[in-house]
Amino acid sequence: MPELVPVTHEIHAKPALFAEFQQIRRVEGFENIRSEYPGYLSDESKLASRSADLLFFPKNEAELSTLIREMARQKVPMTFAGARTGLVGGSVPARGAVVSLECFDQVTSIGYDEPYAEWRVVAQASVSLKALGSMLNARHVPSLERTAEPDQKAQYERFKADKVAYFYPPDPTETSATLGGSVVTNASGARTYRYGPTRNWVRSLRVFLANGEYLDVPRGRYFADAQGNFLVHLTSGKVIELTIPDYSLPRTKCTAGFFTEPGMDLIDLFIGSEGVLGVVTQVEVALMREESKLSMVQFVDSDDEAVKLTSRLRQERNLTLDFLEFYSANALSLLRKVQQEAPSSVGMPFLPAEKVSAIFFEMSYDPHGDHQPLELLEKLITECGADPARSWVAYEPRELDRFKVFRHLLPETVNAIIAERKKNIPGLYKLGTDLAVPDEYLADLWHLYQTTCDGLGLEWVAFGHIGNNHIHVNILPRTIEEQQAGLAAYETFARQAVAWSGSVSAEHGIGKIKQKFLRLMYSEDQMAQMKHVKDALDPDGLFNPGDIFPDEVA
Amino acid sequence: MQIVVCVKHVPDVTNVQVDPKTGTLVREGVRSILNPFCEYALDQAVHIAENMSGVEIIALTMGPPQAGDALMRCLELGADRGILVTDRKFAGADTWATAYTLAEVIRRIVPGFKLILTGKQAIDGDTAQVGPEIAEILNLPQITYATAVTLSSSMRQVRVRQEVERGYEVLECNLPALVTVSRGDMVRRAPSLESLLAGRKKPIEVVKASDLGLPESSLGLQGSYTQVVKIFPPATRQASRLVSGLEAGDAAREIYDYLTEQHFLDKGDN
Repeated sequence: MPELVPVTHEIHAKPALFAEFQQIRRVEGFENIRSEYPGYLSDESKLASRSADLLFFPKNEAELSTLIREMARQKVPMTFAGARTGLVGGSVPARGAVVSLECFDQVTSIGYDEPYAEWRVVAQASVSLKALGSMLNARHVPSLERTAEPDQKAQYERFKADKVAYFYPPDPTETSATLGGSVVTNASGARTYRYGPTRNWVRSLRVFLANGEYLDVPRGRYFADAQGNFLVHLTSGKVIELTIPDYSLPRTKCTAGFFTEPGMDLIDLFIGSEGVLGVVTQVEVALMREESKLSMVQFVDSDDEAVKLTSRLRQERNLTLDFLEFYSANALSLLRKVQQEAPSSVGMPFLPAEKVSAIFFEMSYDPHGDHQPLELLEKLITECGADPARSWVAYEPRELDRFKVFRHLLPETVNAIIAERKKNIPGLYKLGTDLAVPDEYLADLWHLYQTTCDGLGLEWVAFGHIGNNHIHVNILPRTIEEQQAGLAAYETFARQAVAWSGSVSAEHGIGKIKQKFLRLMYSEDQMAQMKHVKDALDPDGLFNPGDIFPDEVA
Repeated sequence: MQIVVCVKHVPDVTNVQVDPKTGTLVREGVRSILNPFCEYALDQAVHIAENMSGVEIIALTMGPPQAGDALMRCLELGADRGILVTDRKFAGADTWATAYTLAEVIRRIVPGFKLILTGKQAIDGDTAQVGPEIAEILNLPQITYATAVTLSSSMRQVRVRQEVERGYEVLECNLPALVTVSRGDMVRRAPSLESLLAGRKKPIEVVKASDLGLPESSLGLQGSYTQVVKIFPPATRQASRLVSGLEAGDAAREIYDYLTEQHFLDKGDN
């Protein structure tokens, strides 16, 4: 029987070891950072910092804790950075110091959790998803090969001897993203359709607070009391009271605002909080047994047919899909053009010559087993008026990899086009929506996208997570006027998504560039409740200034 | 008209990791695939069949029972039937014994063939010998390193675009013939759901050693002229040495000193 640990709403912070502040590796002065380490002033959002005077590379928790305490003493705000793959400027420093967590890059342990019957990995925050995947695949974890700790060694050997293959299900597109980064942003990916967002796979966190102490937060131990409160006891005897917000989250993927629900688990407050409440240095995540897969791209005559097929696939209880993605006809036209110019750059058979849209999905499949699921699939596709002969199928690992590369090709193509246009009109940028709505509004949202973008004469493509009613519309402005029109259209879409009980940010988060949309979703009072949580844990606003909440100083 | 495509089931070596301690391949989790060059050979056959009527594509492989997976992919991609040559007695065959067995299978089961296509080589052994050996045993004309294969409308000649070092040549020869296929600018096909399901309904004939009536001394390890004695990774090259940050004259002096020290030059050479 597993040991029963009483649940509570009170948690005690622990002190960290001390280090010598002057020993922490650093770069001082904005000009030095800009000339020698410019990457730390930006991220994948392409937002660029104009002011950050310090760049730190703490190499362990003692250095991190010392750094936080010293910066707190000097009232210097800190922006924490992982792989800087975020799309909303979360790790771009507004001012003060940038703290790169890149030295926190070791897997600490692998162990089997008997009560939950699952393998779990404990890793430092900057282990990348790609590195974790490779280590699990090869069953070779360099840091554990060297471990002298007998229990860790025994568990690791047991993992290596296990005949079953395991993987970590969350799959944000950018595999150079770090585990810590993906936890604080509650990252999603295509497979969120089946496995849910990162949140579902996090089993414990270590979070450093603004006073340099830390909390170890396992799942299932600390829950909000009936009044929605947590008490955080600091070592000084001071007690922080946290009152969780009382809004309801949409019934969709959502990374807009703090997670909350009655009697919530404390760990969920930190997951997806974009690092404004504390610094995650270590995460424990669960693994899943790997199954062989089949990927399929089914071409259909129109975007509306794709929406129809999506609804039908979602209803079919005998098929379990891992992901369900969409390519609009204009998206495939763009790829067809790329393919005609350089066939090998696409790496796939020729796209149908006529105008088509596509649904792209993956499901578990044993090539030596029963073919009934495929026959069912064939029947269902035919019933929807599509032709199973107009499809691509893959199940060998190298073929699955090829399809995966194809899945990423469209956003890369869009980015390349925008980069080219920027050379002539520097003010241009891509407008990418990240809205999700409940199932019943998928067709309506799609209709709104089509009529608005076509009505404005914009160049646009759509792709992404249609299974979660989360289609990314990418507008490719050709002029500043189109840029303005696109922005206005985006706001219209966001307002409507909120009106349909959806989210203004399904997976990218809020960061510094989507705060306006956050205010469409939450009332002033609800925003104040969120801010209250932030102020309780970080009274001086030292962590990630300008993320989620406006930077009051700037 | 029958086209035989000889294929091989090989470990997917493009994804293999090397154990940093032992320097050997980590075989854990490595799956086997249809050799990519064999897939290009099949692709040429399918292309011919798409453009001419009355073409039957027969995929042929020799290997353990799981080599049937390579045939399955061929059937999904457009082959009409498969032949799996599998028997413990074939184990350990070198390129000659393999070619000898495959040639005999073709002679017995597909005597009316017009064209044999093979990959230019397999990505595991990289010998590039089996195709040419089959041609020799069956006394056929052969063209290697093809990147395009077409038949004349009379189906009596094959026209081949052959990769050569500085470009390509176009060759023609009479059928029957054997052609080994390279990649060229081909992009692998992907089966459709329909062809995947259809592939599973196509026949695969299993051939045992006893079906061929050949002497055991000509099969497998016994029938092989060569044996693998040892497999080892190539010796790693020593790191290069870079001379930088010096004036040209000083850099030359430093390189000269180094070469002398290493006995590439004699002291008297200056």
